[in-house]
Order: sequence, then C-alpha cells, then structure tokens
Amino acid sequence: MKIDAIELAIFQSAVHSIAEEMGASLRRTALSPNIKERRDYSCAIFDGKARVIAMGDHMPVHLGSMPMSVEAAVAAMEMGPGDIAILNDPYAGGTHLPDITMVMPVFLPGAGKAAFYVANRAHHADVGGMYPGSMGPAQEITQEGIRIPPVRIVKGGVVDREKLDFLLANVRTPAEREGDLASQMGACRVGEQRALELAERFGAERLGALIDELLDYSERLVRAEMRAMPAGEFVAEDFLDDDGVTDEPLRICVALRFDPTAGAVEANFAGTCAQARGSVNAVRAITLSACYYVLRCLLGDGAPATAGILRPLTLKTEPGTLVDARPPAAVAGGNVETSQRIVDVLMRALAKAAPERVPAASAGTMSNLTIGGVDARTGEVFTYYETTAGGMGARPERNGPGLDGIDGVQTHMTNSLNTPIEALEYAYPFRMRRYGYRVGSGGKGKYMGGDGLVKEIELLCDADVTLLADRRKFRPWGLHGGEDGAAGRACALKTTGEEIELPGKCSVRLSKGDVVQLETPGGGASQVQGAR
Amino acid sequence: MRIAIDTGGTFTDCVYLKDGRIEVLKIRSTPQDPSLAVVQAVRQVSAGERAELRHGTTVGTNAMLERKGARVAFVTTAGFEDTIAIGRQTRQRLYDWFAPEPVCLVEKALRFGLAERVSAEGEVLRAPSKEELAELVEGLRTSGAEAVAISLLFSFVRPEHEQQAEDALSTLGIPVSASHRILPEFREYERGATTVVNAYLSPKMRNYLLGLESGVRTLHAENRVDVMQSSGGIVSARLAAREPVRTILSGPAGGVMGAMHVARLAGFERIIGFDMGGTSTDVFLADLTTGGAMRTNEAVVADVPVSVPMLDIHTAGAGGGSLARFDAGGLLRVGPESAGADPGPMCFGRGEQATVTDANLLLGRLDENSFLGGAVTLDVDRTRHKMDEQKGALATAEEFAAGIVSVVETAMEKAIRVISVERGYDPRDFTLVAFGGGGPLHACSMARALRIPRVLVPALPGALSAVGILLADVVRDYSRTVMLPGDALASAEVSFAKLEEQARTEFAAEGLNGKADRTVDVRYRRQGYELNVAFDAAHPEAAAAAFHALHQKRYGFSDTTKPIEIVNVRVRMTAKADAHEPVHDALRSEESPKNHGERKICFDGAFVQTQVYRRENLRAGMRVEGPAMVTEYTSATIVPPEWKADVDGFGNLVLMMKEGAK
Repeated sequence: MKIDAIELAIFQSAVHSIAEEMGASLRRTALSPNIKERRDYSCAIFDGKARVIAMGDHMPVHLGSMPMSVEAAVAAMEMGPGDIAILNDPYAGGTHLPDITMVMPVFLPGAGKAAFYVANRAHHADVGGMYPGSMGPAQEITQEGIRIPPVRIVKGGVVDREKLDFLLANVRTPAEREGDLASQMGACRVGEQRALELAERFGAERLGALIDELLDYSERLVRAEMRAMPAGEFVAEDFLDDDGVTDEPLRICVALRFDPTAGAVEANFAGTCAQARGSVNAVRAITLSACYYVLRCLLGDGAPATAGILRPLTLKTEPGTLVDARPPAAVAGGNVETSQRIVDVLMRALAKAAPERVPAASAGTMSNLTIGGVDARTGEVFTYYETTAGGMGARPERNGPGLDGIDGVQTHMTNSLNTPIEALEYAYPFRMRRYGYRVGSGGKGKYMGGDGLVKEIELLCDADVTLLADRRKFRPWGLHGGEDGAAGRACALKTTGEEIELPGKCSVRLSKGDVVQLETPGGGASQVQGAR
Repeated sequence: MRIAIDTGGTFTDCVYLKDGRIEVLKIRSTPQDPSLAVVQAVRQVSAGERAELRHGTTVGTNAMLERKGARVAFVTTAGFEDTIAIGRQTRQRLYDWFAPEPVCLVEKALRFGLAERVSAEGEVLRAPSKEELAELVEGLRTSGAEAVAISLLFSFVRPEHEQQAEDALSTLGIPVSASHRILPEFREYERGATTVVNAYLSPKMRNYLLGLESGVRTLHAENRVDVMQSSGGIVSARLAAREPVRTILSGPAGGVMGAMHVARLAGFERIIGFDMGGTSTDVFLADLTTGGAMRTNEAVVADVPVSVPMLDIHTAGAGGGSLARFDAGGLLRVGPESAGADPGPMCFGRGEQATVTDANLLLGRLDENSFLGGAVTLDVDRTRHKMDEQKGALATAEEFAAGIVSVVETAMEKAIRVISVERGYDPRDFTLVAFGGGGPLHACSMARALRIPRVLVPALPGALSAVGILLADVVRDYSRTVMLPGDALASAEVSFAKLEEQARTEFAAEGLNGKADRTVDVRYRRQGYELNVAFDAAHPEAAAAAFHALHQKRYGFSDTTKPIEIVNVRVRMTAKADAHEPVHDALRSEESPKNHGERKICFDGAFVQTQVYRRENLRAGMRVEGPAMVTEYTSATIVPPEWKADVDGFGNLVLMMKEGAK
C-alpha cells in the first residue's frame, strides 16, 4: 500500500492532536495544582504493537518511558474494551512512584485485538512513603511510597472500587488523589473516543500502512542527521554532587559512536558508577528518554515524536548502575535529577562531535521542593510539590552570532509551569515572599548563561520540607571558554534570624514563620568574554 | 444613519442600510493613518446627514504583531518585579536548543515594586506609605515610560492598594491601566500580562479613536463612534480608548457576528466560520441554539496571553500566500511563512517560491483575468515553470500543486478540529460559512474532509465583517467571583441582582434598554477550570445538573456525588441592535443560470471542463450544478463535480452534495 507525503502529513497531525486533547482534558479536570496549574503530565497514543505514534508536547522525560508502561500493562494482563490499567512501579513500566500511568486499549468495533493504546501519566503530589510528597532521601523503593504493579483499575468501564480504596488508603491526600485519578481515567476515554474516530476516518486497513510509514519517516529524519555526523567515538563524563546519603560524587559516563555510513549511533554508558544508596537512581527507561530527547532536538520543527526515532540508536547500559537501576534501589530523583545529568553528559559528548550545534549546560537540576503537613487553619493534610526553573546554557555561534541563555526557564527533560502565586496561596498554608531572577548567576562569556531564579516561601504552619536538587558542587559547565553558571543553593531563614544552609538532598522539619529560600543554578556561558 | 466600517489590509469596507438592503462601499485603505479612509467613507455615505459610525479596527492587532506599542512600565508587589518576564517558566518550543529569547513587553528598567501585600483572604498585610507611593511616582517620572500597568498580588480580592497607586500615578499624565479593572481574576501572570497589553496599546488607541471621533464630528457635530470589541459586542469609542485590550480582535469579531447573522437568516443555527485570507485563516464555531459563538478567556495574541473574554477565534498560519517547501525527510510543508504582499505569490510576477495561490492557479481554480476584478493579471506560464523546478520527487507541477492544496487544507482542517471535534462538537451537525478571499475556494473540500454536510457562501463574502459590525448588539459583560459551595446555588441570586443593577444603570446612562442573561461558572471542588452553564433563578439546581452533563460530555466522566462550587456569576447585558428585515427575493426556480465561460479545473487529480459563472448574474432560486466555478470581485467559489449550489432568497450560495454522492 503506497502512502504519499500528503496523506502522511494529514495523519501525523490528526494523531498528534489526540495526545494534545487528552492533555487538555487532564488539565481541565484535575484537582491538584501540580497537574492543573503546572501540567506535570504526558499523554501519548500507541499502535496495537505498543509502538508510540504520537506524544503531546508535554514532558520529554516521559518520551522513552511511556512505551514501557504500555508494554508492561500488555504483558501483565489481557485487557478488554473499556478496561484501564494503572501502574507506577519503576521496575515494571514506571519511572518513579509519584508518576502514575494509566493505559487503555482501543478496540475497533467487532475487533478482538486492540488497534491502539492511549496512555497518560501524571505526577501526583503524594503517593505515601516515609516523606510527605514521596520525593525524600529514601534508601530503598519500599520507603518511597506505594508501589503499583500493572493492574486493572477499570474493567469494562466500571471502576474497581476495592483496588482504588486500597491505593487511596496508602497516600496522604486521598481525596485529591481520587480526583486526579478520575481525571486520568476521563482523559483515557477522551483519547479512546478520538482514536476510534481516527480509525473510522482513515479506514482500518489503511491505518497499519500509515503507522508504519510515520515511524519510517521519523527514522529517516534521524538517519539523515546521523549521516551528517563525523565518524568515530566521542566520550564525555559528568557528575551528580552526591546521593544525599554520602558525599561521594556520582559519575556518569557515555561514549557516543557515530556510524555515518549506516546513519546510526551507539550510546554506551560503560564507566558509569554503580547504583547509589540514595534516591538518585535512574531506571533504564529514563536513560532511553534522555537519548530520545537529544536525538529529537537534532531534528527540525514539526518532526513527529514516534518510536521510529529510536531505531538508529543502540543503547548500552549495565544493569545495577546509576543509569540502569535494579530493585530495591530508590529512584525518586532518577527521573528528575539524574535524567537531567544524563542529558548533560550526552550533550557534552555531542559537543565534541558537532561543537556548533550544542549549547552550554543548563541548570541541570529540577530543584524539586516538596512541603507537607497539616494545615493548622483547616486541619486538612496537604502535600505540595513543585520544580523551579534555572538558567539555560548559552548557545554558540552557528552560521551567525550565538545567543545568550534564557533566564529562569525550564530546560531539557521538563517543561512544567510554575504554580501561580495566587493559586499557591489559595491551596496551601504558604506565603510567597519573593520570586524573581537570581541576577548574576548565569555564567560569564561572550554569550552569557541564563540567570537562575530565586524564590522565598514563608510557612504559615509547621511542615516537613524536602529538597531534591543538584549542581551544588559540579556547576553547569560553559563551553568554548565560557564560564560555568553559579551553583544552586537553599536556606531555611528561621524566625529567630538564624540562616540554615540546606544540603541539596534533605528533609527537614521547619516551623510556622520560617522561610524557605531557594536559588537555582545559572546556565553555562559560551566563548570567552570580551567585546561582542 | 448607521454605518459600519471595517479596516482591512488592502480595502476599507463600508456597509450601510438603504431601503432594507445592505449596500457596500469599498475604498483603498490608508495604512499610514487608517482613519483617513474611514472618515472619507463616512463622508461619502452620510453626505452631511448625522451618522452613527461603528468601527472594526486593526490598529491594536497591528501594534501587537509589529511590536509597535508604548514603552510600558509595570508596577507590582515588591519582590515580584520579574514575574511579568518569567511568565510561566516554560519554553515555547520543547525541542529547540536555539529558540530565541521570549518577548516581554516591559523592559527590565521599567519594572517597579511597591511595598504592599494583601493575603488570599483579602487581609491587608502591608499597606504602602505615602512616601513609598511618592517614590514610585518619581521613579516612573524619570523612566521614560509612555504608559503604566499596575497589577498587585490579590488585587482582585481587595483593590485598595491598586487604587491608591492609580491615583498617585494619574498625576503623570500618561495612561494608567489597573488589573482589578481590566481583569479581576486570579493567576497573577495572566492578569498582569493582560493589563500590560492594555497599557501597551493605550496611547496609540486613544489617539486613534479620539482622533477618529473628532474627524467624524467635523462632518456632523452630533456624529458618534462606537467600536467592535473582540467579544462581539459594541462599545463607545471612549470606553474602547480606555480599555483597548478588549478590541484587539475587533475586525475578526465582526466576521463572527456577520457569519452568525447571515446563517440565522438563511435558517442555519449551528455554524463553523471559515475566513481564509492571505497569511492566515480564522475559524470559529457558533451554536445559535445554545447562546451563539464560543468564547474564551485563554487567548494568546502575538505570543502574549490576553485573558479578557473574547470570541474564540482560532487562527492557523495558513493562507493564500503560505509558502511551500520539502523538509529534510522529504515531507511537503506549507506555511506558516508567507510571501506576504511583497514579493507575493509567483503568479503576481515577483515571488520565487510556490504558494497556495500559485497552486490554486495551476489547478485552474483561479481565473487569471478576473482576479480582483481584473486589476491584477496572473502569470500562469511563469508559475508553471517555477513550480516545475520546485516539484521535488513529484512527477508534475500539477501534482505538486495538488499536494500544496491538500497540505494547506489539512492545516486549516486541523484548526477547525481544534474548535469543533476537540471540544466535543460533531462537524456533521454544522454548516460551514466560508468567506474571505480563500474561504469559498477551499470550502467544499474542507467540508468533505470534516463531513460537514453544507457550505454557505454569504452574499457579501468580502464585506462580512462590516456587516457583522453593522448589525451587532451593544453588549457588556459583568462578572464577580463568588466561590459558593454547590448547595448554596440559590443564594447566587443576591450577587446576580447586584450585577444586574450595575448593568442597568450603565446602560440607562447611554439611553439603552438592555436584557440580562445569567450564567454561572461551575467546577468540582478544587478543580482549576470551570464550565459555564445557564442560571435560572426559578430553578437554580438545574445549573448543577447541566454542569454534570456537560462535564461528562467534554471530559469523559462526571460524579453527581462529588461537591461542586460556583466560582463566578456572570451577567451579559445586551441591547439589541435595530432589527434588520432584509429583502427576501422570491425564488424563481424556473430560470437556469447563464454561464460566463468555461475552463479546465482540476478535481481529484483530473482536469475537468467546468462552467464558470459570475456571482452578480445569479438570481434567487437558481441552481448551479458542479463542476462549476462562481467568480466575484474578491473571491471565487469552487463547486466540485459531486456538489451543487443553490442561490437562496438573500443571495447566499448554499452548497450541498448531490443526492447519492459520497
């Protein structure tokens, strides 16, 4: 069956809008600020073989890992029409426990086999465990929260109340979780409906050919880029400051080997340190997401994010290392911190192969802040979670002048919004004292690194404050002689006037009136400072 | 007499009523000062009589697009000066390492902090002192700001501090915009950005509108000027000058109102509007059975959020001038880059890259001799030669042209899907109203792709915006955030009564007698977004039932056991425009249309001998069988072989599939 370039463009756009519409539905119906205001979610659609055919422009960290959720759900159970599977187990299709994924098969009328799967993943502000917000310095996964293997949460359109109650009994804010989970189920149904319309429109027999061609097209785009790369091996390393348990730096190492003749690339993470005791371990899905993201960034605007992008890639990781963790390793930070460092190390290696195409390091940490406790004003339990942007790395000269890094903007594996101050203060016992640029934190150079942000939150009741951040010791690197960006920093400003410096990964109890001050890293610069 | 004038890039359209018929005057626009053409049109039409001018303007839109607004100062709570630049901390393009820095309409040196704070509950935590206010005024005085926007945290709960700052700054003699007046709603960035846009446009719009008013008054001392708002209602020029952010989509809003008007007369209650111009296409959806056109308060205009309610007009970067190219993977891409007026499409003689207009010409869908009434002759040979060079792996220039048309139609189709399918509407229930230069050309194939059963090409497709403005009602929206629990629905009556009183007083002051429509914004407790449903004082509980049903339809679930909350009460006050009883011509179905000529037009890959008709020669009741082409001054309607077009009593073309056609 021949597919022309025009029909393919039509199909690509139709299928992408399904993922976007699922996202809009999720945002408009969710209860927690992290989902409704910050859009910390991803939606995607897969074919019957669980190959991703479109992903919404949501969170890149989920690019490579969403397909594994679908694979895990399919492997675990036989799903029928109207069924929805739920999971969060990082060792069975998940990333870290707060990310709960739902997968729904889509059956065409009369078909015995699913033609599509639709899936969405949302970051829940608490999934139980020893720290409110489930992002604390745990040392094994059982401490991090409830672990959900792939199970059926909806059967034939009916919610399995027993499983849901079991789950809700294990989290700190069950009413909010229940609302957010209902919103995820709704988004699945919206996706199902639209996928059925898509099939009706293109015809069942044409669908297969269109999907194959769409994947081939993504693959062609990547291969064209790989053919333009220099042959050979390009090695780079970078470090996480520590795992929050000991002070030891954690090494991540990659060798990128380009084969321009075949239009292929191998990413070999040999030399990366063993998995850590703290929670910064990344499962392989995250490492794959990082590779996927970097490859996607080499393509032009409008290229589809499909499974075809990964075909020219061979990923080599060693089980039991920081980039391919095995149970019972704790993993909360693998998704949010280690993922960023894997991107940094990939870009550092790529900069050796194609210096003009790679910016200096961006903030390299999501500066995760989690605050939980009991709101003294209402007696209600609350959990708050937010990531704060930092500076973007400067962009080198490339057929023309370079560009300064952008100040205070989400980079690489995340693109979640900030919580509006007015939404924050409605929802939580906090008062924002300051929110602005951290002037001078961007690296100095001909092209400056972007500045980080500074944020001060006053607590209106006693609370547990958990920080999960990095780039304190190893600063965001500059390129071509540009200086590094400033390191991140956080303090507790006590009502007594005392100022306590908080380590990058910690959980502390603070009192009413205390202020959490967070300063995020600036981006690295490019080229030596001097007259422009 | 009432005159409506819509300023466009090339023409200024002027419409007025004469003996029950809508008359049109088209004159050349005067881009340097658009009011010149407007005043000239009023002079010509009114001939010394007293005129009520209603205006659709692009001055605001253009200032946004070209970034030619005022130097704006931004005043906010101290400690939050950068929030207007940080925005929502996201990047626009997810996978682009070389994306340019996003635009902030307020430069760094013009961001000011005021030492004050109000809590979420409305408690004053810190009040600004007189000295601090005076210091702010001094800082602004020397800053070179031409306008100022004030947006303090939680000012929508308690506006006192904003009012104090407003009073203090009013001594500077530059326009002051305060967020509690422009958009009294939560989310500080969107409220602040909307207020900044208002300030950014203030000096320019004030000069323009007040200048226009005095210009029009030189013709007759009692002439008045009203302006079309982006929400589809009319306001006085003085109010529009104060709140220019509300007229940012003035012209396109006229198109929505015009399309609704002609559709209602023609007997169609649910429409999808399709206005294709040179660089972009505007689409919208209106269901007259459920309150008319869709509205949004999450619009983004020229990359800046504008959160005042406006008609939900979705714009796709695809138009007649959109450029075609093959990307690295061999996929054909069309737009969003456009050939614009300069160099224009290849067929105009200077462009070097294929556009949608060139593709249409090569497929026979444009008449090279009657374009713009023959004012421009299109160069077919040049176009074919160049398209042949650019066709890539495709076999012929015609195949390339057909591909361009398919791709651009997909982009426009996607835009229509956003406002229809993605919002739970089935296109099969709608009529496509096609206007603008390109709308009627592409309408039937869009309709086929979306399975829209019917296409309406209005009698005056080139002046529809002006018609909409002429016939629009005077409308003003009032709202208040109430945050009531669902079981207190009935008590919303108190807030409604207050809002209505305010509305009636304001309308009475302008000698208007309005009708109030009440709605409530409802959500499940703790959700972040609401659904708007009608409120009936006699059956307040019906609003809750309507909410659950709508939530199920839109989002795939609902739960009547879960608590709901009433976020806002809204009153829309409408003073009806004078009823327009259009002349309905008797249908003389015995007559057949007389063709003007024949040409070969490409349909589904094959060129077919096609009859060409002139619109002005068609009479009510006539039927044009496809394949056919109907040409007129600003546009051409393509009737594919399996379609037919009937001329109705108002001169509209109503196109449908022939019986049995698929």
